[in-house]
Amino acid sequence: MSGIAPHTRRGRLTAAAAGVLVLAGVLLLVVGLRAQRQAPQPPASAAIPIVSSSSPVSPGTSGNSSGAPASQAPAAKAPAKPVRGPLLSRSVPVALEIPQLKVRSDLLQLGLNPDQTVQVPPLEKDSRAGWYKYSPTPGQLGPSVILGHVDSAKYGPGIFFKLGALRPGDTLSVIRSDRTAAVFRVDRVASYPKDSFPTLEVYGNTDSAQLRLITCGGKFDLSSHNYESNIVAFATLVSSHPA
Amino acid sequence: MKKSLLLSVPALALGAAALAMPGAASAAEGSSYQAQLNALNHSSASGNIMISLNGSQATITENVSGLADKFGGNPYPHVQHIHIGAKGECPTTAADTNGDGVISTTEGAPSYGAIGTTLTTSGDSSAAAGLTLTVAPSGASFKYSRTINLDSKTLASLKGGTAVVVVHGLDPATLSKQAQGEKSDLVPSLPLAATSPALCGTLVASQMSAMPGGSADTGGGSTSGVEDQALLGFGGALLVAGLGAGAVAMRRRTAAES
Repeated sequence: MSGIAPHTRRGRLTAAAAGVLVLAGVLLLVVGLRAQRQAPQPPASAAIPIVSSSSPVSPGTSGNSSGAPASQAPAAKAPAKPVRGPLLSRSVPVALEIPQLKVRSDLLQLGLNPDQTVQVPPLEKDSRAGWYKYSPTPGQLGPSVILGHVDSAKYGPGIFFKLGALRPGDTLSVIRSDRTAAVFRVDRVASYPKDSFPTLEVYGNTDSAQLRLITCGGKFDLSSHNYESNIVAFATLVSSHPA
Repeated sequence: MKKSLLLSVPALALGAAALAMPGAASAAEGSSYQAQLNALNHSSASGNIMISLNGSQATITENVSGLADKFGGNPYPHVQHIHIGAKGECPTTAADTNGDGVISTTEGAPSYGAIGTTLTTSGDSSAAAGLTLTVAPSGASFKYSRTINLDSKTLASLKGGTAVVVVHGLDPATLSKQAQGEKSDLVPSLPLAATSPALCGTLVASQMSAMPGGSADTGGGSTSGVEDQALLGFGGALLVAGLGAGAVAMRRRTAAES
């Protein structure tokens, strides 16, 4: 067929239209690709503690005595393992600061849902973390639990979006209502599938003042609209100071 | 759900709960106990157990693995109990008074005591059901989940720190020749392996006043996978259209020149 010579008006328009479409397409793709955000997932190496500090008390070892935890148990039994490290008195936490992640949050108080799962903070634009109120207050002996969303469907990244980027040795502070700041050092960061969540490893008794920061991670299951795993950062109290 | 820059997506409130609400009232009133279950008698099993107590009602969650798997071709029944009223300890090898290499249930009694409650899969959970194989969980690993009422003696022992969970039933192949030929001290028609302890752990008060059931629902999924799919799709479509138009223009140019 007779072609459209490039120097005709129609030829130039077609070429120009093609150029615009390509440019627009590339622009949108670049914008879209650069807007991708992935929550950091902890590598396997982050699950290895730099010091052997946070192993839970094992109360029933054959060959040992019962090993009830130090000050909390109603039983008058001496603990098999002595308490390690500093302890603080009970004081409800009000804020959390993780300088390494540029995270700062007021803390809500969370309870239990009727199905015995832990309550999570409401999904809102101002994403805040929450302290599980049936766990010890941060600084007391035992595993104090703080939870935060990794993201929400509507608002994007949540307060604990970067939790998976914490590494052993990082420090964070919890401000308590008694105006002390409890400083914790991260021991390890691990990812656990929710369908085989190691309950006692995360929530079991400890022989020091411990913290558990929990969020979601791993793959997102489209059919159930849930993440498959929980990321847990384990940390030990190292010091405190006036807030 | 994928967040899109172009289209608004209806919010999917996952696990959202009122903040700082009183929550399940039972959590604040109850208490929680836990035990790591450790191997006895050269078993290679392990496990843990948690008890959420509300008055005399105990919600029990237990996970064990590595137990003997089969008994005469069928799943191996592992009777399990809360033993009470003694030292609240798991026995050491010093308890093996007859020196056959196996701490029998009787030999362990000075450490952990008599049966207070039987952790049956259904029906009677008193000491009377202590040796009923048909209501014992079975197999190499199991998850036991049940809510039962504890009697006053078990409750007292639990709160006093002398309650010990014992799971019974050993793999005969792990016993000495002598022990393999012995009869059970509890049920003479059964071999010693069948009723001797495999796992043991003292129940201690949890440092949590209420133990959560497990994982946490802390994510709505907007940052997972590919975000802004509509934007990327539209961009891709434009690119393809542009390249297609460009190809048409190029082909016509070539055709015109030839």
